[in-house]
Amino acid sequence: MRLKARHTQEPVIPTASMADIAFLLIVFFMVTITFEKDKTQVVLPKTELRFEVPKIAAYISVTDQGQVRVTDGEATSVLVQGVEDVDSFAANLVQTFPDRPVVLKADSNAQYRDIDRIIDSLKRAKVKLIYLLSEQKTVDDEGLG
Amino acid sequence: MKLRQHKPDDEIPTSSMADIAFLLIIYFMVTTTFAATRGLDFSLPEEDDTPPVIEKEESVLIRINPDGQLMVDEQPKQLDEVIEYLKPKLDRNPKKPVIIQPEETAPYGYMVSVFDQLRRAKIIEGRGLVERSELPENFPEEDWEEGKNINISIPTRREIESFWF
Repeated sequence: MRLKARHTQEPVIPTASMADIAFLLIVFFMVTITFEKDKTQVVLPKTELRFEVPKIAAYISVTDQGQVRVTDGEATSVLVQGVEDVDSFAANLVQTFPDRPVVLKADSNAQYRDIDRIIDSLKRAKVKLIYLLSEQKTVDDEGLG
Repeated sequence: MKLRQHKPDDEIPTSSMADIAFLLIIYFMVTTTFAATRGLDFSLPEEDDTPPVIEKEESVLIRINPDGQLMVDEQPKQLDEVIEYLKPKLDRNPKKPVIIQPEETAPYGYMVSVFDQLRRAKIIEGRGLVERSELPENFPEEDWEEGKNINISIPTRREIESFWF
């Protein structure tokens, strides 16, 4: 008796669900992504108390070298000549967006002189609320800074 | 002779779908930056042509030296000793202003640390100035939220020269 040829199954890796997984990941990234208006790299001071910063806010970043970048929250941040230029930026900001908060993204090692000058400009321009951007302080972070 | 026609299967080719999807994932992974979106809020007092003059004696002055040394009312203190020092003063007068005055060359991080330390304490009815960690675990959250913050002031150099003291 002649036996029927055995039906052999071809070895395949099932990839049908691969696209589903990939699209789930895409959805996650699309939901969580925020396009930062200011990408200045700074070492933020550490605090225990931290509050959520509003999504729509103006940013002023200060590096430890005293470089200042500003944005009203609508466009990418631009480098300004110095802290003196924050006066005109703050005045324009309050004129265009009177209630917009300002986020101060300053390096922990920036000299207080520069920060003082910026806060003074914001006060004179009648900015109502500022946020001092910080990182979470942990039990290992003792003392100042 | 009847020819047998090969009928193609009706299916949508999806083999390249995963490739496209993974390309998009790589794009998002590369462009995503996990931004720090938290910090300390700080309400700026409205600029007034005739601001109230605060005498040194009516307030507590915290000076921050460039080397990180804190001088609280001209006495050297550690950061964790500040609340203890303020407690009797604010228990007597909860509205007493606490002025933070960093030296020009002091790092900004020092000012934020002191500000954070002061913001973490509240004046609670019947308990005076306390930190959250000092309270029992079952202390009602609403009562903590209702506590009064320390009256912190961070005058700018111009304000100090123009109006203060």
